[in-house]
Amino acid sequence: MTEEDEAAFDEFLAARSTALLRTAVLVCGASPHDAEDLVQSALEKVYRHWPRIRRDNPEAYARRVVVNAAISRARRRRVIQEITFASPPDTPVESPDLGLRELLLAELGRLPARMRAVLVLRYWEDMSEAETAASLGCSIGTVKSQAARGLARIRARLATLEGASA
Amino acid sequence: MNVEEALKEAMASRVAAVQAPPSMGQRIRRRNRRNVVRFRTAGAALLTVAVAGAVPVYLSTTSGPAPAQVGAPVPGASQPVGEDSALAGNVVPDVVGMTNDVAGVLKAAGFEVGWKKVVNHEHRPGTIIAQTPAAGTVAPEGARVEVTIATSAPPPTDQTSEPVDDGLPQDLGDLGDGRTFGGIHLDYLPDGLEWGKWSGKDGFGKTSYATSWVEPGKSTGEYSVEAVVYRGKAARTRRDHVDGTPVKIRGKDGYLGSFTEGGEVAGSSAETTLTLVWFPRADVTVELMFSPVFAQKLGSDAADAEIQKIAEGVTVKD
Repeated sequence: MTEEDEAAFDEFLAARSTALLRTAVLVCGASPHDAEDLVQSALEKVYRHWPRIRRDNPEAYARRVVVNAAISRARRRRVIQEITFASPPDTPVESPDLGLRELLLAELGRLPARMRAVLVLRYWEDMSEAETAASLGCSIGTVKSQAARGLARIRARLATLEGASA
Repeated sequence: MNVEEALKEAMASRVAAVQAPPSMGQRIRRRNRRNVVRFRTAGAALLTVAVAGAVPVYLSTTSGPAPAQVGAPVPGASQPVGEDSALAGNVVPDVVGMTNDVAGVLKAAGFEVGWKKVVNHEHRPGTIIAQTPAAGTVAPEGARVEVTIATSAPPPTDQTSEPVDDGLPQDLGDLGDGRTFGGIHLDYLPDGLEWGKWSGKDGFGKTSYATSWVEPGKSTGEYSVEAVVYRGKAARTRRDHVDGTPVKIRGKDGYLGSFTEGGEVAGSSAETTLTLVWFPRADVTVELMFSPVFAQKLGSDAADAEIQKIAEGVTVKD
């Protein structure tokens, strides 16, 4: 690795590491501290191949590695993270918007890891269906159906909750 | 309401405060060096074996100036290893000061963990205050790293009760066979399982304790049976979120079901987790889970029977 490669890697980190870390937090539902560890180990893979990939869209490569690591982590620790995501039931709702946010995140946390990854990439990262499919290594059709099912599930749950509180 | 927009806004708010630390580049490089050292060491060992194996053949088929040529590859082999040539293992990571996932960090570096508790009031209970070998030294892969955890209370004299209440935030320490933790004891476990050397505290709400058992040889992170004990408020909170088929465990109410990753009841399959929740006492809720792989291996009916048999063997201690 040349000095120029090293400098380019630092630049890449400065520009992208926060975004990757945020994506990992959303996809695996872990605390930022745990997600940091996951992102570090994913980026170590990127660093290892850096001279080869740096000119060929390293961000897409890095995101793919991070998202896959986050999905496997979320699956492995399904139960733990499901509960960390869920807001404590007796927490007072401070404002209607804040309550909605918590609800949405809780519902997001209950989705299967891959479905959640689709929603994070599509609606938080603003990626197209094709980009999301490339990141997750699946077909565009899968992205479409997973996104639709995920959103439908969240809508349904919100409707139930609104109905219950009305 | 537009769910997409609301979701986007909610996600943005959740991670708004998350920032990658400036030291990340440094840490990635350190991690990388660690792996490279490991790789080089392994590589050097292979080369040594190859050279050693070649020598007798060479000697037996040639004569004369052979020794000089035989000797030649050896410096060549160790050359790329450079200053690492004296190393025969992995670099021990620094875990002093950590409170979380100590076992995970050491395992990731290729080490076993040995726990030692010392009463120490200067550090928060659960903090690692010492380790041997020291960070940065090299130890053989699979070696045991002894870590010393600060604890606020002396270990109980009663060997059967685990000191779960002295504030080990992530790990409950060495649980032995893992059958006694969180104030419960499991008399029965299916054959062939051993303690998964993992335990967690407060991961499922305050005063909750979790651990798991595995089939020997499974990779880290997999479990076969997981148990969570909820006490106090956590027990009541868990009680409010039960689903499944009602069952009786030693006359107490419980619920059995196979759940999807999304927490919905579904049939037994490779995608679902067989879960039994019951309430041995008003302030204690216990949850048992079979991993999809383990449940499938037993078969759905046998898995249902086994999980209830484990539950029947659970006693609550004070």
